[in-house]
Amino acid sequence: MNSIGFTEVLIALSLVLLSIVVSRYWKIPVQKDMALGSVRAFVQLVAVGYALKYIFALDSVWVVLLVIMVMILVGAQAASGRVTGIRRGFVITSVAMTMGSLLTLGAMLLLGVITLEARFVIPLAGMIIGNSMNASALTVNRISADIRNNRLAIETALALGKSWREATLPYQKEAAVAGMLSMLNFMKTVGIVALPGAMTGMILAGAEPFDAVMLQIVVGYMLLCAVTITSVVALELTVRRFFTSCHQLVLPMD
Amino acid sequence: MRTSRPVLRLRNLSRRIGHTDNTRIIIDSVSFDFERQKIYTILGPSGAGKSSLLRLINRLDEPTGGEVTLEGKPQCDYSPCDLRRKVGYLFQTPHLFPGSVRDNLLYACSDLSEEEIRTLAEQSHLKTEMVDRSADALSVGEKQRVALARLLATKPTLALLDEPTSALDPAHTAGIESLIRELANQRGLTVIMVTHTPEQALRMGGESLLLVSGRLAEHGPCDRVVNYPQTESGRMYQRKELR
Ligand SMILES: Nc1ncnc2c1ncn2[C@@H]1O[C@H](COP(=O)(O)OP(=O)(O)OP(=O)(O)O)[C@@H](O)[C@H]1O
Ligand SMILES: [Mg+2]
Repeated sequence: MNSIGFTEVLIALSLVLLSIVVSRYWKIPVQKDMALGSVRAFVQLVAVGYALKYIFALDSVWVVLLVIMVMILVGAQAASGRVTGIRRGFVITSVAMTMGSLLTLGAMLLLGVITLEARFVIPLAGMIIGNSMNASALTVNRISADIRNNRLAIETALALGKSWREATLPYQKEAAVAGMLSMLNFMKTVGIVALPGAMTGMILAGAEPFDAVMLQIVVGYMLLCAVTITSVVALELTVRRFFTSCHQLVLPMD
Repeated sequence: MRTSRPVLRLRNLSRRIGHTDNTRIIIDSVSFDFERQKIYTILGPSGAGKSSLLRLINRLDEPTGGEVTLEGKPQCDYSPCDLRRKVGYLFQTPHLFPGSVRDNLLYACSDLSEEEIRTLAEQSHLKTEMVDRSADALSVGEKQRVALARLLATKPTLALLDEPTSALDPAHTAGIESLIRELANQRGLTVIMVTHTPEQALRMGGESLLLVSGRLAEHGPCDRVVNYPQTESGRMYQRKELR
């Protein structure tokens, strides 16, 4: 396969036109979104391409770390936008995502599985952060909804002398699973139903399929670890918001 | 045996909620001494703060003023979990956890023996075979008795009961009432029971407290509080002018 340049992109644009024609014929009101979306995707990705090129050339550890932190904060902002029922969700999502992402990346670096080079670390961080973002939002939403909906059960447990941790245990379990579920499902079906992105990308770029598979397995394990840490930290921080140090349930925001 | 020291002492107990510019007083400077092994009923119109007072005694809510002393020791000197095991609390609507009746009793106290489980069931007028029934297959009256048995499992010295018969028909109400009297007389429990019917306060005997707008308007032997109130709000409550 040849390398893909602007000419190829322009040719591929015909597929967007075809989609617009098809949707117009069936009166699906998405033509404007399609046109805008295609332009946006083009601009954003080209910008990222140039940015990555520049960052790779700089080859500075500090720049890499800075980029990762910016990615985490932007991701945490997006995740907190999806959080309902709790104030200052950003504090929770950013701490949880930072811990999940940095601990996982740090472990991989320390164990020597990856090296601290921009071209490895940044794409991996991107995948990790994307997954932690979903995990943190899902966990926070699930646990805060469950606590609000089960006030009587929780206070009954507290009144029997249980700690806030014991009183919320059933809901904690479910919320953590909710945060990890898509990752667990992904691990079950990977390779059978769909070929994951990292692997597909490597194969398209001309790598040996076996190398691509090995990398994908490592990525999968990393994502699992990042998602687990993110969910647990998000859970811990969220539940604590609902209780005083004297094990009293307080509902923030009302 | 009677000790002069009250089992529970409230001093200027208050709770206000809301922020600086918009506060509401729910419990207004309530002082009272509860003596051991007696039955107390708390009367008052809806919204008077009856449930809120029980929540403060169990420390499910934090007082904003005054103090609660349990067996001579300030409430905050107990760990909240220890305190709550001494001060059982039956909610206005009982909640049973998923599982059997036995699971619910074991949840309150995990090292109960079979013997103790049977005794708890008997004391709460539950048939022994009921212990293995699933908690969500019970009637409201049975649930109420299981919740009572579960409360007793932590061996409290004080039982706070929030309208334990409000969801029951007259026959079941009489059953729960005699059960509660039995618990006070035989287990030496101090019972503080919220009720919204003066007739029930009279049936329970003991002392009554009348709460109106978070204030202790009237207290004394139940007959006097219900039939011969001394204060204006007590008389208004008697004439059912307070809702
Ligand atoms: N968390 C809270 N936030 C706001 N208001 C509250 C809160 N808890 C209680 N209140 C208010 O405090 C007042 C007392 O409530 P409480 O539930 O103690 O009344 P009650 O005497 O038990 O009434 P009822 O007989 O209807 O059960 C009510 O006006 C109630 O609206
Ligand atoms: Mg009430």
